[in-house]
Amino acid sequence: MPGCLNPVWPCALTGAVTALSGFSGIAVVIHGSSGCYFYPATLLHHDLHSTFLVEQEVIFGTSERLVEVVKNLSRTYKKVAVVNSCVPSILGEDVRDILSEYHIIFVDSPGFVGDFESGYLGAVRDLPVCMGHGKDCVNIEGINLIDPFARGNQREAERLLHLMGVSAGTIFCHDSLESLSSTADFTVTINPDLSAGYGHGLGSFLGLPSIRKTVSALADVFCSAETAGIENEIQVVEERITKAADKYLKRFDPPSVAIFSTGSYAGFASATLQQYLDADIVFCGSRNEPLPSCTNAVKVTSLAEIGAAIREHAPDLVLGSTFERSVAGTAAFVGLTPPVRGEFRLSSKPLAGTEGELSFMEDVLNACMDHQQRKPVQ
Amino acid sequence: MNLNPLPLSTSRTGGCTLTGALAVTTGIKDSVTIIHGPPGCAHHNFSLIHATLLDNDCMGIPNVMSSGMSEHDVIFGGEEALCKVIRQVASEDPGIIFVLSTCISEMIGDDVMAVSKDAEVQVCMVPTGGFLGGDFEKGFSQALIAVSNLALPVITTPGGVLKNPGSVNLIGEKNLEYEVKQNFIEVKRLLSLLNLTINLRFAHDITRNDINQLPFASLNILREPALSGVGDHLQSISGTPYVSSFPLGISGTLSFIRDVADRLGLAPDEALDSEIKNHAEIFEGFSDLVGTLVRFNIPPEHQEYPLIMEISNKIGFRESSCGTVLTVPYPFPVGTSGMKRMLHLWRRTLTCRAA
Repeated sequence: MPGCLNPVWPCALTGAVTALSGFSGIAVVIHGSSGCYFYPATLLHHDLHSTFLVEQEVIFGTSERLVEVVKNLSRTYKKVAVVNSCVPSILGEDVRDILSEYHIIFVDSPGFVGDFESGYLGAVRDLPVCMGHGKDCVNIEGINLIDPFARGNQREAERLLHLMGVSAGTIFCHDSLESLSSTADFTVTINPDLSAGYGHGLGSFLGLPSIRKTVSALADVFCSAETAGIENEIQVVEERITKAADKYLKRFDPPSVAIFSTGSYAGFASATLQQYLDADIVFCGSRNEPLPSCTNAVKVTSLAEIGAAIREHAPDLVLGSTFERSVAGTAAFVGLTPPVRGEFRLSSKPLAGTEGELSFMEDVLNACMDHQQRKPVQ
Repeated sequence: MNLNPLPLSTSRTGGCTLTGALAVTTGIKDSVTIIHGPPGCAHHNFSLIHATLLDNDCMGIPNVMSSGMSEHDVIFGGEEALCKVIRQVASEDPGIIFVLSTCISEMIGDDVMAVSKDAEVQVCMVPTGGFLGGDFEKGFSQALIAVSNLALPVITTPGGVLKNPGSVNLIGEKNLEYEVKQNFIEVKRLLSLLNLTINLRFAHDITRNDINQLPFASLNILREPALSGVGDHLQSISGTPYVSSFPLGISGTLSFIRDVADRLGLAPDEALDSEIKNHAEIFEGFSDLVGTLVRFNIPPEHQEYPLIMEISNKIGFRESSCGTVLTVPYPFPVGTSGMKRMLHLWRRTLTCRAA
């Protein structure tokens, strides 16, 4: 298909801005028009800046405007990050040269080069990271501020590390500019799709099997790491979910499920639902290129294709974003992917960690129960 | 935020023509709008419109197609990609296909107009060009004008241009505003006081065929004065006069009734009496606020300040620098019902402050 009807995933610019805006002390400037500024600004609810380019500057050059904006911001921010949008990227001006008097981070991330993940990872790799200063702690990767689980995931990762007696290092991407100058040698992730590769990777906190492996890897590196508490917690979580899932399966058939998310989240959801509910995963759609480990996932970014997949497979349960909910018909729905709109989300729900596993299965079981109860009695 | 203006009057924060145009084209529910640019442009706008529809309790999905411009297309040109997408969309036989250009397609010099003309299917090209084509408002107006040109020509009889007596069009409702439904209901209520009906909501939740009804109304009512160019265009092609804005404020609502009646040669007295009585009942319900010290979050030079002052005086507020700050909603509430909702919000603010 040459085109894409109702694309459901943001561009590289939004990804880059999301990554950079997670670090306090960095002023993020979108070098582009107000149209390119408003979308990330409304998604992130964060102080963003822009050159707000107009036509005349595209014709006569954007350097004067760029210097003006960066100069002003340099007075109040320790660092200014300039993210190139489509038009200035095509113009081909040498932004680094134009801003040579300022200590900036420059990220060329026009929307036409790729998707959210490519922009996010490109920006993370352009950060002024200084490795090797945090030997006693572990970085946390994969925090994405447009993810409805970002706050919860961060807290959960910090809690699990604390439970093991290991300190958290730099949080990618929700930390301070200063934290980048003392990035640890080791890293765990809560979302393998967003692993930039800083530090030696010790694994993921997404899903209980991954947590087990990661805890073991952490214990190998940190001799004083305490593992008993977390291992016990994993066991308790498994028992609680199994008990609840058994109760559901005594009354109902396993749900057929269509999953639409980023590769890692989709893989987590698929494995978890198969493990506890013997669920039939009828479709697994990934917003980004799926990781090699997600063998059953296919990349889907058009709502038309998503709607067609749901109509074809008629699942009992749909996991995805607000977009999927709008085409889910009578199927049960659980929010897994940004954006999740049309509902209040006040607490810091995780998807990663033991609490994330509990929270995810709680949402799924409640949605499936509601769905079953809505069904007319034959 | 640095908003240093240029010597020219171009707006830095006026948004994108695409969003403005899509606010119109997605109001035509059997249409497909092709955005000739990277998928991100289509996603941003689709996501925004989808969110707005959700806020308005509508699960409908606008059809926004991206030509999927890639780095390759940026280098070698994207006209071929656009051609393919137009053919792909046409094979689904939508009511109408709109094509919008983006700043990228303008920058690389794709001739979107020529591709649209050569498409062998009916395509309505809306000149946008992202921010290179202007701002949100310009995109909105351009799209209304482009879509209005799809209507059938007016029918002229010996008695003049054929019209549906007693019917009006609503032109340029802000489909992305949260209160769009409430505003429509309020205007419809006020028009019913003059025994008038709505001919067409142009362009809100209509079909391609509905557009043909556009010339038959006796009067066009614009959402806001910024659409006067659209009003002029419609007057020139169909001879339909227009009122330049939805009603705002107390006397603004009454003058709206007078203006509509005047344009259509109707007697407004009964409708005015009814609405004046309605106002009195509403203000009676807020008599507990008389004498309350308040101040407003808009400066005196703001165009809506006189409307607020009129309402404030009617309530009996006392403006004071130490009064509670009352927020004036944006966009300004429409008609009497909108004003009543604003008064409830203000009372809630004052009550919370007092507690």
